[in-house]
Amino acid sequence: MTKEERLKKRHRAEKRFRFYGLTSIFVALLFVVILVQNIFSKGSSAFKKTVITTEIFFDQELLEIQNGASQEEIMGADFYDIMIENLIKAYPAKDRDEEDELLKLFSGDAEIEIKKAFLNDNSLIGKTITLDLTASDDIDQLHKGNYPRDLPEERRRISDFQLVIYDYFVENKMISKNFNNYFFNNGDSRDPELAGIGGALVGSFYSILICLLLAFPVAVLASIYLEEFAPKNKITDFIEININNLAAVPSIVYGLLALQILLATIQLPRSTPLVAGITLALMTLPRIIIPCRASLKAVPPSIREGALAVGASKFQSVFHHVVPLALPGTLSGTIIGLAQALGETAPLILIGMVAFVVDIPSSPVDPSSSLPVQVYLWSESAERGFVEKTSATIMMLLSFLIVMNFIAVYLRQKFEKRWN
Amino acid sequence: MSNVKIKSKNLNVYYGDKQALFDVNLDLNEKEVTALIGPSGCGKSTFIRCINRMNDVIDICKVTGNIEMDGMNINDKDLDVVSLRERVGMVFQKPNPFPKSIYDNISYGPKIHGKGETKSELDQIVENSLKKSALWEEVKDRLDEPGTSLSGGQQQRLCIARAISVNPEVILMDEPCSALDPIATAKIEELIDELKKTYTIVIVTHSMAQAVRVSQKTGFFHLGKLIEVGKTEKIFKNPDNKMTQDYITGRFG
Repeated sequence: MTKEERLKKRHRAEKRFRFYGLTSIFVALLFVVILVQNIFSKGSSAFKKTVITTEIFFDQELLEIQNGASQEEIMGADFYDIMIENLIKAYPAKDRDEEDELLKLFSGDAEIEIKKAFLNDNSLIGKTITLDLTASDDIDQLHKGNYPRDLPEERRRISDFQLVIYDYFVENKMISKNFNNYFFNNGDSRDPELAGIGGALVGSFYSILICLLLAFPVAVLASIYLEEFAPKNKITDFIEININNLAAVPSIVYGLLALQILLATIQLPRSTPLVAGITLALMTLPRIIIPCRASLKAVPPSIREGALAVGASKFQSVFHHVVPLALPGTLSGTIIGLAQALGETAPLILIGMVAFVVDIPSSPVDPSSSLPVQVYLWSESAERGFVEKTSATIMMLLSFLIVMNFIAVYLRQKFEKRWN
Repeated sequence: MSNVKIKSKNLNVYYGDKQALFDVNLDLNEKEVTALIGPSGCGKSTFIRCINRMNDVIDICKVTGNIEMDGMNINDKDLDVVSLRERVGMVFQKPNPFPKSIYDNISYGPKIHGKGETKSELDQIVENSLKKSALWEEVKDRLDEPGTSLSGGQQQRLCIARAISVNPEVILMDEPCSALDPIATAKIEELIDELKKTYTIVIVTHSMAQAVRVSQKTGFFHLGKLIEVGKTEKIFKNPDNKMTQDYITGRFG
């Protein structure tokens, strides 16, 4: 082989390698795009809800309260008759059956929505207002175009007559899409149009908060001790190996541990963010210790020696110099650990967070759901409305993770001091 | 003849199974510069790190024998290394300022030793230390800037100022100029000349010329043994030992 041939061969090998690299990056990106596109196309419609604009006349005869009623009186009052009498006027129905079908187009919360309007303005008796009432899941999905109309009637959840009403609504511009406040404010529900991630958001927030409060100080102190103070011997080696192994233990094992110890033995309340937080803290601990130690190790020994040489004690050299320098790395490691914990599902299912919880938890010891578990729960539901809710929840979860990772990167780049 | 400040007797140092110093007997005179020369790995740095007990940070390091400062046994287990290091400062091979402001670099030592209770006292210490290390004129207007923003030579003088700030009696210098250019080196050497009026200085160096220029006494180490020690002039003009002769003339090392 001549020199020229060898050179050519070398260049070819280089080009080939570039090609392989670019191809794999392209394939990976393609999958990400497909995933994101899929989630967005399915989920983005969940941020809007279909509403039916209806005129509501507050007839004194149908209500047992007066204008100016107190909040308590209104809460206790029955708005059922008002609801029925007004809703059946939304479409000129001929008989009871048609009226029943018409009523099914509204969400189960129509009465509450009317009551809320009265709560806002308790002088409405005798007056007529227009209200945007949430439509039922079937109408919602139909209006968003997620529901095929061309199926034969017996295979549809919506009857032909209901389609006629729907078309009447569309014609009279009574139907529109609003921002879906229920999705963010409500807890879980059997009715997709009323179900929201409010409970899951709060549950996840409490869980992660408890996880942070438990895992961060323990992990940081453990890392500092192991890295700076512990004698280098077989025991510390053994501990180090175990920490690395624990970081690789499947998360469901932590769920089993929590089930046995926290729920069965200590008898903490199940399905609660408290237990979830402790479980996630156990799981996250080694995952924070590892980056913490790495960032402590990255502080050059010359800084420690410099401090010791002017007469700082070991403790002072560590806490005045090494720890502040390692802090950005420590914090970003912690955030990434928490982001992992936020997306964790398996251990939470084991500790009962998979329960159907309607109420939004008001404290960490109330039963609750969490974002990833909510995804799991809804992905198993049959109703069409939950498909978009599942994807929308994934979008929320992903955006939290992206924000957290972004903060981690920012902290590292902004505050990491450079030394020579 | 000046007073002996530090005296080592049969000093042995082991790193695990490996012995790094063999029976070193070396006297360091007060307010004088002692240069330690010798090939890499011969134990010069190990020796000076015995003087401020920096070897303590190495787990496997064991020191036996005697090393005294003003009659006090440095190697005493009960000795408080913090107060020892307040009396024995150190400057390292690579400038290692803290990644903090110039002011904080210097005020750190006095602060932890409770010197300079008030801001004005601290300001005074910072100014004096920087003046003594001939850095004051260059940095007096930017004391808030990070120490790491200075040039290499300035950083090393900052480290010297940091060592001076706690008012030590002895300053150990471990190849302080090896990372510097000749101009910065000249400045440091000038500074050492000035500092020896106040401090006892031990300098480890690979440059014979530097040893000749700055020191009054020179010790030659080889393979962990102190081969020869004496007045610098004598060591470089007329050494007793053949190995010293070979080393300073560049025949090995």
